[in-house]
Amino acid sequence: MLELDRLSKRYGDVVALDDLSLTVRPGQMYGFVGTNGAGKTTAMRIVLGVLDADAGEVRWQGQRLGPGVRREFGYMPEERGLYPKMRLLEQLVFLARLRGTAEPVATRSARALLDRFGLAERAGDRVEQLSLGNQQRVQLAAALVHDPTVLVLDEPFSGLDPVGVDSMATILRERVDTGAALVFSSHQLDLVERLCDAVGIIRAGRLVADGTVAELRGVTSSRRFRVQVGAAPGWPDQLAAAVRGATVLDHGRDDGPALFELPAGTDDQVLLAAAQRLGAVHQFGTAEPTLVELFREVVSEEPESDDAEAAA
Amino acid sequence: MSRALSFREAVLLVARREFIQRARDRSFFVSTAITIGIIVLVIVFPKALNFGADEYTVAYVGPDGPAIQAVAEDQAELSDLSLVAVDVADAEQAEQMVLAGDLNAYLDADSVVVERELAPPLRAVLENAHSSVAGTRALTDAGLDPEQVASALDTAELETVTLDPAADERITRGTIAFIGALVLYGQLLGYGFWVALGVVEEKSSRVVEVLLSAIPARALLAGKVLGIGVLGLAQLFAIAAVSVAAAALVGSIAFEASMLQPILLVLGWFVLGYIAYACLSAAAAARVSRQEELQNATTPLTMLAMVSFFASFFVFFNTSGTGPLVVSVIPPVSALAMPIRMARGDAALWDIGLALVLMLGLIAALIVVSGRVYEGAVLRMGAKVPLAEAWRSGRRVRS
Repeated sequence: MLELDRLSKRYGDVVALDDLSLTVRPGQMYGFVGTNGAGKTTAMRIVLGVLDADAGEVRWQGQRLGPGVRREFGYMPEERGLYPKMRLLEQLVFLARLRGTAEPVATRSARALLDRFGLAERAGDRVEQLSLGNQQRVQLAAALVHDPTVLVLDEPFSGLDPVGVDSMATILRERVDTGAALVFSSHQLDLVERLCDAVGIIRAGRLVADGTVAELRGVTSSRRFRVQVGAAPGWPDQLAAAVRGATVLDHGRDDGPALFELPAGTDDQVLLAAAQRLGAVHQFGTAEPTLVELFREVVSEEPESDDAEAAA
Repeated sequence: MSRALSFREAVLLVARREFIQRARDRSFFVSTAITIGIIVLVIVFPKALNFGADEYTVAYVGPDGPAIQAVAEDQAELSDLSLVAVDVADAEQAEQMVLAGDLNAYLDADSVVVERELAPPLRAVLENAHSSVAGTRALTDAGLDPEQVASALDTAELETVTLDPAADERITRGTIAFIGALVLYGQLLGYGFWVALGVVEEKSSRVVEVLLSAIPARALLAGKVLGIGVLGLAQLFAIAAVSVAAAALVGSIAFEASMLQPILLVLGWFVLGYIAYACLSAAAAARVSRQEELQNATTPLTMLAMVSFFASFFVFFNTSGTGPLVVSVIPPVSALAMPIRMARGDAALWDIGLALVLMLGLIAALIVVSGRVYEGAVLRMGAKVPLAEAWRSGRRVRS
């Protein structure tokens, strides 16, 4: 497995990473989320050896990372990066060979990937002649061409249309299913929630939440309820007042459902009974927070998340 | 399936890419063609227009005409002057031709007729020939045997003793080296700029981040310098081959094996000069993120190349004294200046040794310094990275 162990990195006075630790297992798709400047890119660059950490280390299968181990890594940087004037096939073969793949193997693999991305006929074109979406596909192909066992992708889905997202997600899932470990960062949290086996939320260079989406829900709150009562406006506040410790998270619109939170130990049947006393209960159920909600909650706990702005 | 590349393999892989991609570039062909074109023009043009060689058309009228013509042509050959004899029917036709500009002069008995004035070299040859023929006739008229007269005159020739027989060749070699230095100046600037351009291209396209996740920064730098350098050397070989062939063809220089020496000297020093300029270019370029800033960042290098350029003129026109000596041992100026002195045979062994040691020392220092600045700056996007900061961020060795 891939372990980031207590990584720290400063740029002058700016703390980019502060004791960051996380683990990604083979066969796992790990979503790395955080606000802009939280340190995601810095962490990824350190994993790839493009940057050196001030402290801490990165291990793969228990072995400290060096160039020899990193050849099994595939990397897609946020800003992208291909030679604009180089032809697709040559470029992919070149990048594969830089990671130690023998030429015939590299050529076969590059052709297969271009084929897979529907770019086989453009193998002899220069990168700059492609549309942006296709350039991004080539970028992913460049990260995959040497058949890596660890994939580190910085914002792989940004700028893709929904169809492009799906096809890229399918290809990545195949790699993960054959045992590759995948870490990717993204601001598209719905996508992360849908695709990822595990999620890490980073704020100001620290990992503030880590686990499956279900686990994260468990940590933050499993005590949320969506309730809809046929009563005069203002009923949510009356309901909250009727149950000790209950709070209204969201008043809802007009006569729509409102969102409540109960403190641990309070029986949800108490809430239901109180609601029934106010009027006809049209809807009552637990409300699982989306990743977006979890993210907002975790990230806004301390309002100093812009510390590491320059670290992006 | 895959194994880690050694540093050498990484360098060669990068070098191969640079060589192939650059050689395929259209601008490479255009620049090679233009350089070769200019050199061929410089060599062939004067010959085609007959610059330098004086040529005169002359007609000989009168009974002594053929005799004078024979002597005049012998004389002309000695004076490196070419005489073209034109047959005319009589003096009248010759005069018409002189007036029309078809003849430079015609000789009739004891006078030479020209339109306005007689060119001094032509006057010397014709006067000599005339007086020689007239003298022979006078002696014959006095009763001497014409053959005796002829042989007596023939023996009265000056024998030339050459004290420095190789001087001509040395000057020719020096000139070839000088022309080589001029070409070299263009190539150094051109290839240094290519290295700089390549560095910024990788930086601005961010491909450098992908590359550095696979290989060390120094391997990338070394590969780039090597690939472009080998291409440059190949281009110089091509230029040299075409130039020598063209010169030999039109006869500007008599092609001899010894003429290869200055060319090889120039190519050898090119390698050293190129490494120095390429290191400097790469370090300068790594500090900026956009091509627009490149010109600005490489200005000091352009100045340095200009200084070398003028130094090579200085050395070409000054054969002795300490000035040329000093100029030709200081690196990297020596890359352009030293080949000229070596080709001419002016440089003592210890000058050459000193120049080489200093140059190699500079290269060694530049590899260390430039490599570190490059490493420290190449991943820093945005504003130009201050030199000191790049130096601090660069590491001595990447683990």
